[in-house]
Amino acid sequence: MPKYSEDFTPQEMIVVAGSRTLIDNKVVFAGTGLPMVAITLAQLTHGPGIVPVFEAGAVGPELSRGLPLSVGGSRTTYKANYLLGLNSAFELTQRGFCDFGFIGGAEIDPYGNLNSTMMGSFPDGYNKPKTRLPGSGGASDMACSCERTIIIMVHEPRRFNEKIDYITSPGYLDGSPNARWRAGMAGQGPYRVITTKAIMGFDDETKRMKLIATLPGETVESVQEATGFKLIIPDDVYAFEPPTVEEVRLIREVIDPKGYFVRKKIKE
Amino acid sequence: MYWTGLSPDEARQFLANKDKSKRDKRISLKEAVQKYVKDGDNLGIAGFVNARQPIAIVHEIIRQGRKDLTLSFQSAGLAPEYLAGAMCLDDSKNSIKRMELAYLAHEAFGISPLLRYLTENSLIELEDWSNYNMSARFKAGSMGLPFIPCRSPLGSDMLKTNRAVVQDCPFTDRPIMLLPASHPNVALVHVQEADIYGNCRIQGPTFTCPEIAMASAHCIVTCDRLIEHDDMTRYPNRISIPYFSVDAVIEVPYGAYPGNSGGLYYYDEKHIPEFRNACEKFRKGDRAPLQEYYDNYIFGVENTTGFINKIPLSQIQYVEKIEPGIRLDAAYTVLGS
Repeated sequence: MPKYSEDFTPQEMIVVAGSRTLIDNKVVFAGTGLPMVAITLAQLTHGPGIVPVFEAGAVGPELSRGLPLSVGGSRTTYKANYLLGLNSAFELTQRGFCDFGFIGGAEIDPYGNLNSTMMGSFPDGYNKPKTRLPGSGGASDMACSCERTIIIMVHEPRRFNEKIDYITSPGYLDGSPNARWRAGMAGQGPYRVITTKAIMGFDDETKRMKLIATLPGETVESVQEATGFKLIIPDDVYAFEPPTVEEVRLIREVIDPKGYFVRKKIKE
Repeated sequence: MYWTGLSPDEARQFLANKDKSKRDKRISLKEAVQKYVKDGDNLGIAGFVNARQPIAIVHEIIRQGRKDLTLSFQSAGLAPEYLAGAMCLDDSKNSIKRMELAYLAHEAFGISPLLRYLTENSLIELEDWSNYNMSARFKAGSMGLPFIPCRSPLGSDMLKTNRAVVQDCPFTDRPIMLLPASHPNVALVHVQEADIYGNCRIQGPTFTCPEIAMASAHCIVTCDRLIEHDDMTRYPNRISIPYFSVDAVIEVPYGAYPGNSGGLYYYDEKHIPEFRNACEKFRKGDRAPLQEYYDNYIFGVENTTGFINKIPLSQIQYVEKIEPGIRLDAAYTVLGS
């Protein structure tokens, strides 16, 4: 049997990349969807000690009763170690109990700032957006107060913009030295950006996005072409190890057998 | 500075004059909405996205019709979507003036079609906050504080249009956000268990239901089960909302359907898309399916029992069967009639 899967989907690739980015025994604040699949995959492989936290209140549940449809749904509470409400979850985050947060958005800029509020002109067009998005939810709180964040994005030029319409969840702001500290934030900011094409991080000096690894089927050029701003391309960019047969089996058979999140078509 | 709902001083004064007696607060949902929900009110919507949303209360408000409402919530789905749909169909009967919100959509079920419709056509005014902000604003209200400090989302564009104030912390000298308290006129809350005096026992996550109930001037509670008072007070530290912050208690089984009520029923993965698809069609210009939905499930029935009667029993049984949440099952006797 071959080691690597030959029929993995873009979502499965994101899940595998997200899972491998997580570190055992860390507390991970999770959103609905692919992040939950990634956390569960990590728990079943290299990170059995990962502690998921859900913003509606559940800390350290077992995700063995089916994938939650919501971060407030009953499936997030099964065998939880602590369970109150939103204030308690965000207070934990603000205090420093949450090592990583998984967030996303409709668009991102080179400094890891994310928009999930509105497309259109801001602030003058705030009450007449071109497209209204759902809003921050807890993402902006996670972006500020989790120690690090892992950002998941669909990789398209229109979603990677030098300037975004609205900063919902702050990354490194304008990239100036200590911008987050000076703004009053507690957490250190974006750690990785995981997309359908690449794994990226941020330059220590400029805080601009840099390519770390290309995903299977992609090249440095194809990733840059799908990015609406210039990426920093270091010399040591590498090809990310493809999903293994075992990882894909776990996703399909154990974690998301109904295909709620993984088989769902990524919106183009 | 302006306040929506009550200012902190008004909220304090209101409570000082309120009857806090331990009395039987059972009335019909119709009467409760007539008595406590007025045109122009700021309504605090409890629950989280589509879990324990006050669906029965919202359907009754829509049947009676209320205008110029302000809706305050952290993350919500069905409750504001139903009110938005009623406004889309006939804004002379129901209308939303403003939302103070962190998130309006349906998570795995998709975006909110009518938030898009109402905002992209400039039909409502918004004030964006984060989930923690709205939760902390209710908490400040419930604590009797005019504001609460918060460390997120500093650096976000939300601060350019909401009422948060950023200033240097007097103790650390670093910037900190100050959030104004929220005191809605009425809290709309659904819980699993309550007694006749209004004590509530929430099973599963409390979300920000206790904070909203205690910050608001009035509070309407629907519960899936009314239970014996002695069974409620057997576990005093499991009482999530104390009776004297509640004005009306109504037993409404399935009062959060088609959403999730932890320990009792899971999200209805058939009905939520049925409603959301009708909203999406409205957004795209086809009004008929939404009108049909409201005529059938809201205007065409008297109450939640009528609504539930229209859902196939097998569908109700399924959402009960797959619900994995636990509750203190043996710890109460259901109140007899």
